[in-house]
Amino acid sequence: MKSGLPGRHWQDKDGLHIDVRSLSPPQPMVAILGQLDQPDQQGPVTVHHDREPIYLYPELAERGWTWKLVAGEIGEVRLILSRPS
Amino acid sequence: MSFGASFLGGANSRLLPVSIPLRFFLLGLVFQAAGWAVLLTNAADLAGFNGGLGPVLAAVHLLTLGVLTMTAMGASYQFLPIVTRQALMRFWPARLSFWLVAAGVIILAYAMARLWPFGLDLGAGLVAAGLLIFVILTGDNLRRASGVPVVAAHGWLALVALSAVVIAGFLLISDFRSGGLGDHQAVAIFHMVLAIFGFMGLFAVGFSYILVPMFALAHVDISRAAWAQFLLSVFAIIGFLLGVQTHRGPLMIASASAGFIAAAIYIWAMWTSLRAGMRKRLGVSFLLIRVSWGFLLVGVFLGGAMVANVPVPNTPALFGFVVLVGWLLTFLMGVLQRIMPFLASMHITDKTGKPPLLSSLTPKRPLLVHAAFHFLAVGLVSVGIVVNSAILIRFGAASGLVAVAAFAVFSGHILVQLRKR
Ligand code: HEM
Repeated sequence: MKSGLPGRHWQDKDGLHIDVRSLSPPQPMVAILGQLDQPDQQGPVTVHHDREPIYLYPELAERGWTWKLVAGEIGEVRLILSRPS
Repeated sequence: MSFGASFLGGANSRLLPVSIPLRFFLLGLVFQAAGWAVLLTNAADLAGFNGGLGPVLAAVHLLTLGVLTMTAMGASYQFLPIVTRQALMRFWPARLSFWLVAAGVIILAYAMARLWPFGLDLGAGLVAAGLLIFVILTGDNLRRASGVPVVAAHGWLALVALSAVVIAGFLLISDFRSGGLGDHQAVAIFHMVLAIFGFMGLFAVGFSYILVPMFALAHVDISRAAWAQFLLSVFAIIGFLLGVQTHRGPLMIASASAGFIAAAIYIWAMWTSLRAGMRKRLGVSFLLIRVSWGFLLVGVFLGGAMVANVPVPNTPALFGFVVLVGWLLTFLMGVLQRIMPFLASMHITDKTGKPPLLSSLTPKRPLLVHAAFHFLAVGLVSVGIVVNSAILIRFGAASGLVAVAAFAVFSGHILVQLRKR
């Protein structure tokens, strides 16, 4: 996990969580890609967002990560990002 | 669809059909070629140009309205809903604004070149109707932009400036037809300064505060610098226009100096973002963007020099060319080559349901050729203006056409991928 990035991040049993709900563009993307670009980051990473991050997908694909939308809280868009081995 | 996505009404409800921004960008490319072609065939008129109807004014509007405004419209329709979290409620007004401005630019530019009075009115009317839709749609979106106040402030002022530019445009053409405007020169300067620095400049600068940190993946707070730049820019524009109306040289020079400092602060903020960015290899697009910032400083400096009567040969034409092509067009082409593959990839999925790689949508060679010939064009035409050489200007315009052709190859590659999937 890299500190100094925007948003809230914490480590849980299921891996790293990043909450970018309070951020304005382009900071959510910076927060998420900043974590994914860490050499030791293998995923899965759970992202808590307030909208579907359509602009993130091309960047994820470029890095070889996949994403899945899962159920979240009301008003939340939750994604699980993983890097297929 | 998962709960989260369905709860929000689905991602794609926010996804503008790719054909909307692309039609603006692609027609902008056609107008850019037309602008260079007009310059190629009227090269002898450029160096001494100091306003007034004719082919050079047509080329200016092919560039400002046809390329810069068209592209700004496409980019706003695409990006503002994301920034403000508000979808465009309907797509047809955006499409209608495209057709109105497209038809208007063709008629207006033709009428300016051929001194055709009815065409001036018709073209200006169509352009104004299209821009009115754009102002309403964008204003409606900006109204709800709470997270990024400094970007919204730039956007608002740009829209106000655009409205004033169009009104002044009508006054200018009606004066050509039937006279009656007291000080034509002062209105022409008002129109030009607000068009370049008020509308297009503030628009480009405002968008940079989102796009540059996004491309560079930068987490750095530049909002104080951005506000300082914004306030100084407002002071510079209003002060300069007041100075022109009241014929006060010192006020104009003070305002131009404030504009220069504002430009320097903006560039400092951009460099700070790039330095802090996690992505260091930004490719040829950022070569264009960085060089464009240099031309911004040169342009504002030339504007000040013109007011202070510093003897630079053919300053009016040189100033116009440096800010419109050196700064704004170069910046725009840098940004465009970054966002076009992005837009396409959001709309394409392969057999596994994934988008194609951005790198596969960004062929490098055409972009390198584009950059080389674009820089050659800017250099040759600038020198051609200073030494009053129609031949150099002609070669420059021809290089500009090659640059556009290279960019068309790049765009064609993206279109083919879009059609294939
Ligand atoms: C209805 C729309 C418009 C009309 C009718 C119009 C008309 C004109 C006219 C008649 C002039 C020549 C002034 C003179 O020297 O006597 C002029 C200059 C100029 N216009 Fe427009 N204009 C329009 C929109 C725009 C827009 C939207 C932009 C920029 C985005 C723009 C940028 C410029 C610039 C930069 C010049 C200065 C050219 C120079 O003297 O170097 N115009 N316009």
